[in-house]
Amino acid sequence: MAIADHRDDEEGQDQDRESSAALSWLARAMSLLGLCLFLGAVGVLGYEGLFRSGGDPVIRARVETVAAMGGQWHARITAFNTGGTTGAQVTVEGILMRDGQMVERSYTVFDYVPAGSEQDGGLFFTRDPGQYELRLRVLGYAEP
Amino acid sequence: MEITRQRALLHNDADFARALARAAAGAIIFALPLMMTMEMWELGFYIDRFRLALFLALTVPLLFGLSYFSGFEETFSWQDDLTDALAAFAVGFIVSALMLGLLGIITPDQPFTQIVGKIALQSVPASIGAMLARKQLGQDDNPRQEQRQRSSYAGELFLMMAGALFVGFNVAPTEEMVLIAYKMTPWHTLALACLSVAMLHVFVYQLGFQGQENAGNLGFRSLFMQFTLAGYGIALLIGTYLLWTFERTVGLSAMEMVTVIVVLGFPCTLGAATARLIV
Repeated sequence: MAIADHRDDEEGQDQDRESSAALSWLARAMSLLGLCLFLGAVGVLGYEGLFRSGGDPVIRARVETVAAMGGQWHARITAFNTGGTTGAQVTVEGILMRDGQMVERSYTVFDYVPAGSEQDGGLFFTRDPGQYELRLRVLGYAEP
Repeated sequence: MEITRQRALLHNDADFARALARAAAGAIIFALPLMMTMEMWELGFYIDRFRLALFLALTVPLLFGLSYFSGFEETFSWQDDLTDALAAFAVGFIVSALMLGLLGIITPDQPFTQIVGKIALQSVPASIGAMLARKQLGQDDNPRQEQRQRSSYAGELFLMMAGALFVGFNVAPTEEMVLIAYKMTPWHTLALACLSVAMLHVFVYQLGFQGQENAGNLGFRSLFMQFTLAGYGIALLIGTYLLWTFERTVGLSAMEMVTVIVVLGFPCTLGAATARLIV
């Protein structure tokens, strides 16, 4: 028994020496991929942190399309943030104006408008926005 | 003979492929609760980039340490541990990307950095899960080897830290941490802290950290000081670090901050106490 164990140990050492020289190509490939993903992710985040982030959210809104829908009018809007930080609970108000008078008002809240991205939403009106002047205004945001 | 077989795992394509599949399963199992947590997706784009980069950078040393104690491969040299750690990171990252894509959390029209942020944050628990998969899903090949490595004091503290980080991470991103802190009075906080320490001590005592021979020689006081209090300190530090990373402490008063650290300290303590079972 002891002799058998001893022989196994010797074989093990021999194989150890051989195998440490030749790591499985799959193990090499996966660890190399891991290294690339790691450096890539840290690099992108670090770059973003150094050059792109910080400052205030700069959020504006634009009207995309207006269509009649189920007895009311639907204005699709997009809120976009060109600033360096994310705005939360971004409130966008749409007002239908005629001759400087407010005719109708509606608003919506975006949970988040991340830095550098766009979020879509919609406003409903009982009157056709095409007949009036539709003004969009971003009312405010909270820091997430 | 046994050692030869295990040594060969990292050096044999078929065995390594099987280990990779197991690691992917582990990544999904351990990270799924966080993949389906709304706050994780949101943190992916609004979390401070440097804090996320630092968090990610600390993951690889953590994986390296976990590989040393129990990776998804038996490893014997630091090169093998590094290979192991990087492969686990690759598995965690890819699994996170696929799952987030499948769940519709990341879409091609999102800005690139937002996608990277979401995947990067998710890949931390996923790659830890990939690393733990061997212990949890595979058979325990060589308990003697592990026990030897684990019986060092620094090793025990490292395992406690890893356990605290892993369990703490599962709840730290949620808004409930701060919400619970708002609901608690100072007496609640004190009671929770006492419960955490008591629970940790019971686990330390029951599981006989440091190996039976040493635990038997240590008296209550030294066991309490060396493991229980040290473990609770680690749990609180990890909790504080997680809260800082997720920016949950901004604008809180000192009292509220202590409360929220104790609140998160509880799951972290649970992780530290049960680290031997998980890791």
